[in-house]
Amino acid sequence: MNCEEAARLIGPYLDGELDLTACLETEAHLAACPSCREKLDLQRALITVVQEEMPRHKAPAFLATRIRASLKVDQSPTETIPWRQPWPVVWTWSGLAGALALLALMLVFSKPGTSSSLAQEAIADHVRSLQVNHLLDVASTDQHTVKPWFAGKLDYSPQVADLGPSGYPLIGGRLDVLDHHDVAAIVYQRRKHFINLFIWPANKSPLGERYYEQDGYHVLEWTKSGMNYLAVSELGEKELRDFTEMIKNQTTPPME
Amino acid sequence: MMENPRERGDSLPARQQFEEAFLPHLDAAYNLARWLLRNDQDAEDCVQDAYLRAYKAFPRFRGGDGKAWLMTIVRNVCYTAIRKLRRHETPESFDENIHQATDDTATTEEFRQKANAETLRRGLERLPPEFREMIVLHDLEGHSYKEIAAIVAVPIGTVMSRLARAREKLRVEIIAISTKEISYEL
Repeated sequence: MNCEEAARLIGPYLDGELDLTACLETEAHLAACPSCREKLDLQRALITVVQEEMPRHKAPAFLATRIRASLKVDQSPTETIPWRQPWPVVWTWSGLAGALALLALMLVFSKPGTSSSLAQEAIADHVRSLQVNHLLDVASTDQHTVKPWFAGKLDYSPQVADLGPSGYPLIGGRLDVLDHHDVAAIVYQRRKHFINLFIWPANKSPLGERYYEQDGYHVLEWTKSGMNYLAVSELGEKELRDFTEMIKNQTTPPME
Repeated sequence: MMENPRERGDSLPARQQFEEAFLPHLDAAYNLARWLLRNDQDAEDCVQDAYLRAYKAFPRFRGGDGKAWLMTIVRNVCYTAIRKLRRHETPESFDENIHQATDDTATTEEFRQKANAETLRRGLERLPPEFREMIVLHDLEGHSYKEIAAIVAVPIGTVMSRLARAREKLRVEIIAISTKEISYEL
């Protein structure tokens, strides 16, 4: 073994990662080579000081609570959303285009569920989209940026409207999951509130017109031109209805 | 080692099984995220996101080393966040040769005097994340080369050389920081 090989093996030797043969060969070289023994001492000093003195960051106590809360909100395939128990959820939302903004809201789920499982899932998606930094996969107020972003990610092209002049600016979109299918979520903003508009092909299960309210969230469902639409927001019913009317008036038949 | 709790036919709800298996690794997950992102808020958000992803993927978890599995997810989420944070900067390709250390003059004794929690922290934060994570995963979290190879998705030989270079680079940074020979442009 030459010095170059030995130098390469000093780290793995100290880490106990060498097999017996390599270990013995390295030791034999070290015994005969003072220069490599110096390197060994230096490596050992470095590894020791790093392992003993490098600060280890400890998770803040609230993080476990926050994670438990988000797992409760999240719908796993094997359990239903536990709406029964009051549970405060701290929302954080980091801002767009590099500017970080923190939005903290308190929510309490307290009423028994009344809406459909799809609406519940949509609410859970909506809450989760605000909770972690996952509101947007594509952040843009330009419909001609957001719409093409879905090309290749979905086998349909969702409607993306520009409602900025009406006070509901587009802020972006993302892929989400509803009822085990990938769906487009187009995100609009109204003051400090967000509207998730989920769009997917109706195929054989059109939604029809429905309205739900649950725990301060409003859900509006409808089907038009072969596409299912589901809008969910913490926005008041009237404003959400105004929004959906504008979307409906803009709907164009999907390209065949 | 741990088997997938769902295969034991336990009557515990999935969420409780998941929490019992993975919340004990929260400090390890946070430590990796905090070192990679160098910011409390980003680390908290990424760890929370990683747990949600892990929870969704839990039915596909086939048992084995739960900590390494979680760390893989945490790392992926963190790199996605790093890419987003860097979106407006000129993309820089990672070249291990450029980051090779050159200083070779400090003695062991000199190094011992200059290494302390503060110079260690600043030195490690200055390394590129690809090196930083090697030291965090191996020296702080105690993962083996083989586990790191799985977490980072590179061959074991790459783990070996990258960890060696990370340590060398860290040693040079510590000497440089404590002797104030370099400026701290950020």
